[in-house]
Amino acid sequence: MSDRPAITLTVNGKDCTVAVDGAETLLETLRDRLSLTGAKRGCNQGVCGACTVMIDGRPMRSCLSLTANCTGSDIVTVEGIAPNGSLGRMQAALEETGAVQCGFCTSGMIVTAEALLRDNPHPSAADVQAGLSGNLCRCSGYRMIVEAVLLAAAGGGESA
Amino acid sequence: MNLHRPTDLADAIRLLAEMPEARPLAGGASLVAMMNARIVEPAALVSLARVPGLAGITEEQDGALRIGAMTRHRETASDMRLTGGRSILRRAASRIANPVVRNMGTIGGSIALADPAADYPAALVCLDAGIEIAGASGTRRIAAKDFFTGWYETALQPGEMAVAVHLPPAPAGSVGAYRKLARIAGDFAIVSVALMLGAEGDRCTTLRVAVGACGPAPLRLPEFEAKLVGRPLDALDIGALGRALAWIADPVDDVRASAAYRRRVVPRLVTDAYERARRKHEARR
Amino acid sequence: MDDAIDPNRSVGRSANRLELREKLTGQAKYIADLSRPNMLHAAILGSPHAHARILGYDTKAAKAVPGVHAVLTGDDFPDGRMGAFVKDEPPIAQGKVRFIGEPVAVVAADDEATARRAAQLIEVEYEELVPVLTPEQGLAEGAPLVHEDLPNYFMVFDAIRYGNVLSETTLSEGDVAKGFAEADIVVEGEYETPAQAHVAIEPCGALAEIDEQGRVTLWSANQSVFRVQANVCESLKLPMPKLRSLTPRIGGGFGNKMEAHVQPLVVQLAIVTRRPVKLILSREEDTETVRVRHPFRIRMRTGARKDGTLVAREIDTILDGGAYGDDSPGVLGYSLLMSRGPYNIPHVKAHGRLVYTNKLRSGAFRGFGNPQVSFAGESQIDEIARRLDMDPIELRLRNAVRGEGPWFLGQKLASNGFVECLETMRAAAHWDERRNSSPTPGKKRGFGVAAAAHISGLLGTGAIVRLLEDGSVVLNTGAVDIGQGSDTILAQICAESLKIPLDRVAVASPDTDGSPYNWGTTASRVTFTTGRSVALAAAEVAKQIKELAADMLECAADDLELRDGGFVGIKGVPEKQLPLFLVSIQAHWRRGGPIVGHHTWVFDRPTVDPKRAVVSGLPFRQIGVYSFAALAVEVEVDAVTGKTEVVKAWQSVDVGRAINPRSVEGQMDGGFAQGLGFALTEEIVFDNGRVVNPTLMDYKVPTAKDVPFHMQTIIVESPEPDGPFGAKGVGEIGLVPVPAAVANAIADATGARLRKLPMTPERVLTEMLPPETDDDAA
Repeated sequence: MSDRPAITLTVNGKDCTVAVDGAETLLETLRDRLSLTGAKRGCNQGVCGACTVMIDGRPMRSCLSLTANCTGSDIVTVEGIAPNGSLGRMQAALEETGAVQCGFCTSGMIVTAEALLRDNPHPSAADVQAGLSGNLCRCSGYRMIVEAVLLAAAGGGESA
Repeated sequence: MNLHRPTDLADAIRLLAEMPEARPLAGGASLVAMMNARIVEPAALVSLARVPGLAGITEEQDGALRIGAMTRHRETASDMRLTGGRSILRRAASRIANPVVRNMGTIGGSIALADPAADYPAALVCLDAGIEIAGASGTRRIAAKDFFTGWYETALQPGEMAVAVHLPPAPAGSVGAYRKLARIAGDFAIVSVALMLGAEGDRCTTLRVAVGACGPAPLRLPEFEAKLVGRPLDALDIGALGRALAWIADPVDDVRASAAYRRRVVPRLVTDAYERARRKHEARR
Repeated sequence: MDDAIDPNRSVGRSANRLELREKLTGQAKYIADLSRPNMLHAAILGSPHAHARILGYDTKAAKAVPGVHAVLTGDDFPDGRMGAFVKDEPPIAQGKVRFIGEPVAVVAADDEATARRAAQLIEVEYEELVPVLTPEQGLAEGAPLVHEDLPNYFMVFDAIRYGNVLSETTLSEGDVAKGFAEADIVVEGEYETPAQAHVAIEPCGALAEIDEQGRVTLWSANQSVFRVQANVCESLKLPMPKLRSLTPRIGGGFGNKMEAHVQPLVVQLAIVTRRPVKLILSREEDTETVRVRHPFRIRMRTGARKDGTLVAREIDTILDGGAYGDDSPGVLGYSLLMSRGPYNIPHVKAHGRLVYTNKLRSGAFRGFGNPQVSFAGESQIDEIARRLDMDPIELRLRNAVRGEGPWFLGQKLASNGFVECLETMRAAAHWDERRNSSPTPGKKRGFGVAAAAHISGLLGTGAIVRLLEDGSVVLNTGAVDIGQGSDTILAQICAESLKIPLDRVAVASPDTDGSPYNWGTTASRVTFTTGRSVALAAAEVAKQIKELAADMLECAADDLELRDGGFVGIKGVPEKQLPLFLVSIQAHWRRGGPIVGHHTWVFDRPTVDPKRAVVSGLPFRQIGVYSFAALAVEVEVDAVTGKTEVVKAWQSVDVGRAINPRSVEGQMDGGFAQGLGFALTEEIVFDNGRVVNPTLMDYKVPTAKDVPFHMQTIIVESPEPDGPFGAKGVGEIGLVPVPAAVANAIADATGARLRKLPMTPERVLTEMLPPETDDDAA
């Protein structure tokens, strides 16, 4: 049995200490140990994007991140985007445009889109399409999701 | 499985020497995916996350750019010091996967995997890049064309790792083009072409063309290139070079495309890349 | 956004999905998010062979792994047989294996990693058999039999079956020989479409828990709790009261989750271990072991007079059914039913055979055979238009099925917006002003159109509407919302019917214990088939309300009307009204009993008019109610590589009545994107029966960069009298015309006519260029 060193990370603003094997992914830690099931396992290969969370301020694949390699990192999941029952601007915009269908890609989309808007506050539709190209959606054809991001950029869909 | 997080390069090298079954962990974009699929099951991992001096792009005395192995694709894709001929690397980086994966993947991790259909190999061979390698017996530098030796094979010896990529200055006034054919956005290449063009007036002074995803290593024909240098830009038989590159290609049939199609497309993409580079050159004049 | 809509109206409003907030905040619970105390995790050992007899198992090593609680093989499962049309499928391989990846054994352990490790330690002895790898091999004289017992299997219809042919169907009207004799031009072609993977972002999974009475509660990713119950109980020979099937949130289905996947395995493990057992498939397992779209080979010819009148069509098709029947006979029958297209072609002969092969089973996938035949049919319409130098929309208008039709085989149409679809699409796309020159150097621009129709009504459904004490309502239909928004649509229909606000309607989660039977969320049927039940059950509630209120207001029930906001009052007398809660209280405590409305029906409009059509081997006799669509696309083909990009799309769709316009658009957008993948990039590749590309690295679905942002949906409403507020279905039709429209646009741009999907850069370039000579390589 290998050592399971204690790893401390900040998750949605709270410090957490977990004892994990070196091969445990952040996705597994979030879902199975911390009951944060918003991030999803869609492919476990980093392609579908349903597992996307913020690590140290950047959207990354939690299925490709090893928890033991995230000591001291600041993790934000969809549950932490807007706590206490409110909605962040991306969530509010998705609500307004009716872009959400089955919802399985939504958590990852929100994280990626929040970062996109932070880095490019006035994106064109093409910028948004490129920015979301790593988050697969099989339900929506992306159009309404892109509209939601443009709406959020325009200041619409303010936190509810 | 233990994950080690050394805080200096010497420690990292020492750990790799002590544990021959261990693997270095860069961004994890490829390695953790392979672990998840149970394609590899490393006995241990040596994370480079905390080793200083491995990330970032710095200018050297001679105008070369040193790109640390842990530099994420996102950074390489947006560094505007990669201009002129060296813009090829920036363009190649920007075509890797998607923005989220580009936050994670690194140039060192990518070239160590040496997937022939990845974006860096052809770009680095075109740019005459040098790969800086560190191991137990010290550091060495080899040319990119000597680094990529086969299907998922590099010149790295056991216990060695790439620590930086060096891009020599490109000829003044040169322009670059990177053309990637893939099934969808962010996919691996079916064929990629990295092309650098320099000219004085309307005469070609520099021509370098590397083709990726058409064999175990990037294709380049410097002797053929040399024959075309000096020609007028509009009378330069780029088609001949493209056909020669197709001739030496050794592509496979896979789910992305057949070998025959790849061979057929190579000259067309080479010509297309050349024309794009020419238009850029004209625009600058 | 909905400013023009009266706030009291539910139908016609783009209301938010009822469960939206939980999806936005990461709180929605899908199957992988559920857990039960003391739960075990399961893993599957799949067959390495495409066709082999199982000689024996050795499970000792697997059972010895610490943390393993059960190792079950085919010997440990009852030998029931399930299947939607043919009962040919056991719960796990028994006696022989029929495709690579078929589950052969299962393990339940403390955690997933242990279960997987232990599964790999199970040894199975096989005697390899010659596999049938293609339908052609299956049809050949002396071919090995995939199902030796086919003649004895129970089938729900009178199938024509022999050898490896599970079903042979022939549909005809008129006399094709005569028809082709009258034709001035005949277009002929052979078309090939591949296996397509659903790639719902959520893979399949299930969780089963047994109670002290031996009753199993089963949650699973599904499109029908009733099909899950039936499949599990038939395959495990379990009496149905022993299984309760429930549903978590579903992360998309598209047909993949309509019939069984891992549910029988998980239930049997729960029964044996007496602990809750959960199994979630990996992406690769989902792609390799569940189901795919039927590969089709189609020979088709269409004849027309020189004035553009279509006179005859003949189609012969071979379907690759894979190892088990699943929905296949239905796909064959339906594809032939749709093969005439929305046109008045008087002479049609449609014939097809469904062949077993030793590959992954083919099953339901959005479109259900219609996309495949439409690829052929709508390509041929376009070829005829070119040969006659006619505008392709004009040609379609000339032959469009109008008014009451009828549809192929004779069903009359009670609603028909097809012509309006063609005309509105033409206008929206500015078709008459299109220009083929591309602003981008090196790209060739082209435009293509295609039309489609698709059914809305079939099989059984029901609804229960209960008036709660406070005058609000709970609606129970058993229809699973797979993410397409049916809970919301049905609630809107209910709210509108009772004139109560939408937020006063609660929707019960489907439960085989308490919900009325609903065949399933598939076939674009829920809005029409289930929605109709909801409206009629609500009408029943309205009737009971009025009867009781008449008593309370001392008038006749006929004098009463329901009023916005949840009131019942005397017509013409605004001040004489009662809030519904008072009526409900009266019913609960004083008179009549709690008010419950209930409706049940099975779609019974005949598909076939025996005076018009000759039919054999058709698995269904009553399906119908047609929605229509027309699609135009603008493409750019890269002249260097052959890579095709769709830059704009306009799609008109006749949905009868848009209960929720934004949901209609969402279904059309999503169907288009999936159709785009089918048209350009998606192909499951088999190598000696093995799926070569089960990972998302190798099997590519369109990303946000690949689907055009400029997609416009035009809603056409030709009300269906039987539909709830006139509504018909929309779930699948967005996908159906896409491959043909893109093929027609590529032909327009380059002159190259492609007849095989997907239309990869390689296939397009090969068709565009003259055949290679040695000079190319020198």
